[in-house]
Amino acid sequence: MNEKREQPVLVQRRWMVAAQKIGAPLISASLAVVVGSLIIWASGYDPRAAFIALFEGSFGSPKAIGDTLLKATPLILTGLAVAYGFRAGLFNIGAEGQLFLGGLAATWLGLSLAGLPWFLLIPLMLLASMLAGAAWAFVPAILKARIGAHEVITTMMFTYIGRYLVSYLVIGPLKAPGQIPQTAELPDAGQLSRIQALFSEATLASFEFLKLGRGHLGIVVAVLAAVLVWFVLKYTTLGYENRAVGFNPWASQTAGISVQWTTVKALCISGGLAGLAGSTEVMGVHHRLFDQFSSGFGFTGIAVALLAKNHPIGVIPAALLFGALAAGAGRMQFQADVPQKIVLIIQALVIFFVAAEEIVLWFIRRRQKEAVSHAG
Amino acid sequence: MLGDIITPDLFASALRMATPLALAAIGGTICERAGVVNIALEGIMLTGAFFGTAMVLLTGSPWLGVIAAVASGAGISAVHAFASINLRSNQVISGTAINLLALGLTGFLMELWYGHPGTTDPIKVLRPIFNFESPGGGAIAEAWRWFDSIVFSHTPIVYLTILIAIVAQVAIHRTKWGLRLRALGEHPRAVDTVGVSVYRGRWVAVLMSGALAGLAGANLTIEQVGSFTENMTNGRGFIALAANIFGRWTPVGSYLASLLFGFADALQIKLQILRGVVSIPPQLFLMLPYLLTVIVLAGVIGRAVAPAAVGEPYEKG
Repeated sequence: MNEKREQPVLVQRRWMVAAQKIGAPLISASLAVVVGSLIIWASGYDPRAAFIALFEGSFGSPKAIGDTLLKATPLILTGLAVAYGFRAGLFNIGAEGQLFLGGLAATWLGLSLAGLPWFLLIPLMLLASMLAGAAWAFVPAILKARIGAHEVITTMMFTYIGRYLVSYLVIGPLKAPGQIPQTAELPDAGQLSRIQALFSEATLASFEFLKLGRGHLGIVVAVLAAVLVWFVLKYTTLGYENRAVGFNPWASQTAGISVQWTTVKALCISGGLAGLAGSTEVMGVHHRLFDQFSSGFGFTGIAVALLAKNHPIGVIPAALLFGALAAGAGRMQFQADVPQKIVLIIQALVIFFVAAEEIVLWFIRRRQKEAVSHAG
Repeated sequence: MLGDIITPDLFASALRMATPLALAAIGGTICERAGVVNIALEGIMLTGAFFGTAMVLLTGSPWLGVIAAVASGAGISAVHAFASINLRSNQVISGTAINLLALGLTGFLMELWYGHPGTTDPIKVLRPIFNFESPGGGAIAEAWRWFDSIVFSHTPIVYLTILIAIVAQVAIHRTKWGLRLRALGEHPRAVDTVGVSVYRGRWVAVLMSGALAGLAGANLTIEQVGSFTENMTNGRGFIALAANIFGRWTPVGSYLASLLFGFADALQIKLQILRGVVSIPPQLFLMLPYLLTVIVLAGVIGRAVAPAAVGEPYEKG
């Protein structure tokens, strides 16, 4: 090979790596949708009608887009939670439980400090939810760091414990008067406003696309969190140690990073992010706590993180995809008669294809390496 | 009050509650001994519970239901085997996908076949094998009541599980097959070198664990509850994994550890029934098995050593 060839080869490789990073998840998601369609078809439904309804219910109108944003908000946060753990080599399967505790802490604080103005109350509630989520991850974190208890089992157990705790509190001590097991409504100052409520009637009349229905400001919190996590991972010592331990704990230990301490920090930060998802749900959607307030956002967060390849910014489009599936599922059942559970199946397929896709990528990379070594 | 709680029925109930955990835990033992992590036990159990129930609803035969549960458990675990053995996917992630898939698939088929979410119609269940007359009064009759309740009050799979634990223990520790199985999890390269297929050995182990977890699902629906409810396994697959660890990756150990968790579950149920007597909210009892799992894991892990190659995909040399 002559020297002139080398430059283009390098440039092309960088471009190809970037294409892989974005293209591979797209292929995984597409494969999942194809298999999902086959299941819909094999069950005797019309996949075309199903997907039209799904699309209309998620992107068909400003209100539908608002619903997608509504569902994507907690998914961005739980996706970030799982991704942050994965980057340290930890699988926080219990984001759901941390989310419950976050919702609980925000509600409790919001009801206790009802007199505060919004600019104090809202940050305090968000902060409380993060602390509660982190606290709920703390015991599994310590057990992992000190004695190696597998975080998949312990965080899962804490999810059940957390759910029963919330269930007990909304039936017992925190229950509002009345028949329904739920807390009282949060004060206005403790609620995250709907996006369309920020604009005047006149503005909304001329800019239809702002009529985002139930979409609320939690999406801003979530996107800011994603940017912050990205910055922390890329530019801070904390993030560097997190990635180093995830990449190679033994080398990190040798290099002087405390693997145990990094493990504890990683799981607690992960728990904090999941906890934040609990508060945005309570503050932006339900305005109160009850025991079914999360529809498995913690578990869907796993699919979000994997699809995003654990990249904090990638979590946003991945969460939008799953948010759209969740938002459109109702209309799909109503309009095309397809059971909503198909969305869970598609999620599982996405995880499966992302996991299986590693092998495809591995081959591509090896080919490239061979090509380069032959070239050199 | 203690007399209300400590009854023969409590211990009999512990044995029943331990059964699905033990079956899944022994499945986990076999799978992990072969070097494959099986986080999917939860979903496999749920799959077995659903297809077992569906078969009983279709045919009216509980035994055909048991067979369907075992077959469907092995069937869905084949997906895990293919992903983690042939495709060399991350085993924990593949297991997570199976868990979600099982949740979605059973819920989807539930609506497709029965037209509603939630719980199926009641099914014909397997009855206890023995049914002895209880003698009259006196101390001997009381002793017999305990003995009869704990030993003779159970359904077939409860006894079968004890048998499986013993047979698996002998098979893993005293047979050539068992030696190979353990080698797969400790040093797969060595197994490969002597000309035994690592892939085939691991496939067999994963399918066996799937069949056992499927049987656990059958026990839940066809012997205990008598119907299927969405997500009815409720974390049992994960508790079974902990039982496997607590039992130090041995079948009999897994069984004994499951008895402990089964007892916690039985106690929880008993205390719920006695809510009038014991004024503690039921949700706090419901936490008991999960709390116990964490406590047990916290106490035991440092001293329990997992198979060396567990979780690592094997690449043919």
